[in-house]
Amino acid sequence: MQRNLTLLHRLINIQIRSQLQYPFSFFMEILGSALIQSFFFISFALVIVRFEEIGGWNLGEVAFIWGMTEFSFGLMDMIFSGFDYDYFGPLIRLGRFDQLLLRPVNITLQVLGSRFVLRRIGKIFQGAVIFLFGLSQVGVNWTPLRIIYIPILIISQVLFFGSLFIIGATTTFWTMERLEILNIFTYGGSEIMSYPMHIFPRAIRLIFTYIVPAIFLSYFPAVFILEKTDPLNAPRIVSFIAPLVSLILLWIALRFWRYGIKNYQSSGS
Amino acid sequence: MTPIITVRNLTKTFKVFHDHKGYFGALRNLFDRKFKLIEAVYQINFTITAGELVGYIGPNGAGKSTTIKMLTGLLVPTSGELRVNGYIPWKDRRKYVKYIGAVFGQRTTLWWDLPVCDSLNLIKHIYEIEETQFRKNLGIFREILDLDTFMETPVRSLSLGQRMRADLCAALLHDPTLVFLDEPTIGLDVVAKQRIRDFIQFINQEKHTTILLTTHDISDVAKLCERVIIIDLGKILFDGKLETLLKTFGGRRLLSVDFAEAYLKPVLENAEIISIQGSKVLYSFERDVVSASNLINQLSTKYRILDLEVHDQPIEDTIREIYEKQLLYNQPHAEKNFTS
Repeated sequence: MQRNLTLLHRLINIQIRSQLQYPFSFFMEILGSALIQSFFFISFALVIVRFEEIGGWNLGEVAFIWGMTEFSFGLMDMIFSGFDYDYFGPLIRLGRFDQLLLRPVNITLQVLGSRFVLRRIGKIFQGAVIFLFGLSQVGVNWTPLRIIYIPILIISQVLFFGSLFIIGATTTFWTMERLEILNIFTYGGSEIMSYPMHIFPRAIRLIFTYIVPAIFLSYFPAVFILEKTDPLNAPRIVSFIAPLVSLILLWIALRFWRYGIKNYQSSGS
Repeated sequence: MTPIITVRNLTKTFKVFHDHKGYFGALRNLFDRKFKLIEAVYQINFTITAGELVGYIGPNGAGKSTTIKMLTGLLVPTSGELRVNGYIPWKDRRKYVKYIGAVFGQRTTLWWDLPVCDSLNLIKHIYEIEETQFRKNLGIFREILDLDTFMETPVRSLSLGQRMRADLCAALLHDPTLVFLDEPTIGLDVVAKQRIRDFIQFINQEKHTTILLTTHDISDVAKLCERVIIIDLGKILFDGKLETLLKTFGGRRLLSVDFAEAYLKPVLENAEIISIQGSKVLYSFERDVVSASNLINQLSTKYRILDLEVHDQPIEDTIREIYEKQLLYNQPHAEKNFTS
């Protein structure tokens, strides 16, 4: 375990170093991506300012969940980018995955360490700014539980999105190509989590409750932290199960991943 | 002599799928696929002793890569027995791969964006190589493979020959007992080829590493390997000394003659005309049937000649003839169609 962590650290470290080889272009890239990403929020903010609220939530409250979701997704996309199926699919197709299997190190660790995209700092930074803006606008009734729950929530979201990435990567063992439809759950999921979820039609809400339980990671916890009334009338406990939901999903994702690895076979050429 | 590789009745059958295309193609492929079964490797047997350097050759699609992938644990055999270094490769993968090295000529194990020295350093940690052992090996390898000029260059900017040398170094730093080399000289110039051959010879002779060399370049085998295994259409056609093979199927010599005038058909006894181009004629003859001096005698008495040359048929041609005329082969290949 100790050795694995040291090795992971080494693998990631060396990539960070090589990505920072051209600091100016790296900085510009981050700035560019942060700016582009924040336009989505700015255009949304302009609309909501005009109508004052969306489903009973004002701009600050939406900024709170929007920013947190962007922040967590960016963080996940940086850490779990080895499982990004746009990267993992070609890894399998071009036989690079075989090369990893020929090394005497845990394969999950190698995939995790095979790619670390530092550029995602742009998205993370942009998410943090929106989140802090949201916090400044809403008067949160700070209690110890609320203070502790925010970092727990962020970690849960990272694991939640990470699990979806792992599941996506695992499907490419069989399909070789990425399944476009999985984007609905990963990128679509993060999109939907950026809004108060009660505004969506019932069918969509059900999908993101029972198939991909995204609603437990942003809407319900936010109802508790921001003290909103919940038109869905869910029991109060659902605000607190975010860590449990993400851990269960991670467990399922890792089981599926191991099943995929066990059944993986290289091509004949 | 202890065998390091034992292969008994090894068979690998592939399902070859006809994929659906289009928008939902990838999704449909999950549930409904048509396939046929192809025997990539069929009932092969061989044993390799520790310290041997064996050439494993065959035309494209013969089953070479499939065999190597089973030996390295990347493919699970359909049936048959396979033991390498006391392990069953696909079962004991993590423990097993510590003792082997593998170079696939078409791919690199190095990190694309990192300088060679950083890549090698990572390899050191991945294989937990002792500092002294690492330094010693690297010192020797960088000299034989001439790595010094590009140690600081990122792998993506290396030439093919440089990359291959770096890959060979990376695969051998941990002193594997057994090495699989798949096309290590593919696409390289004469000088780079020679360096790589020297290196292969060095690790075999000085470090007593067992080597299985897969190649298209028969001159690699001729220069390096005493023993050669030929596989085609999934079956082993020949396993023995290269000399024996050449004696059986080669043995022919070529005689090219430049005549003073263009004869219509300058026949020689016991020699076969292969080609006539103006005044230049190429004959082929069996060493055991007729001697070169006899033919030259015939020539000078019957015709007026300017120049002549005698040489052995190149090994490449002999091997090609074996493949093309299927000299070693007499059974039709199995192929069946199935629908799931």
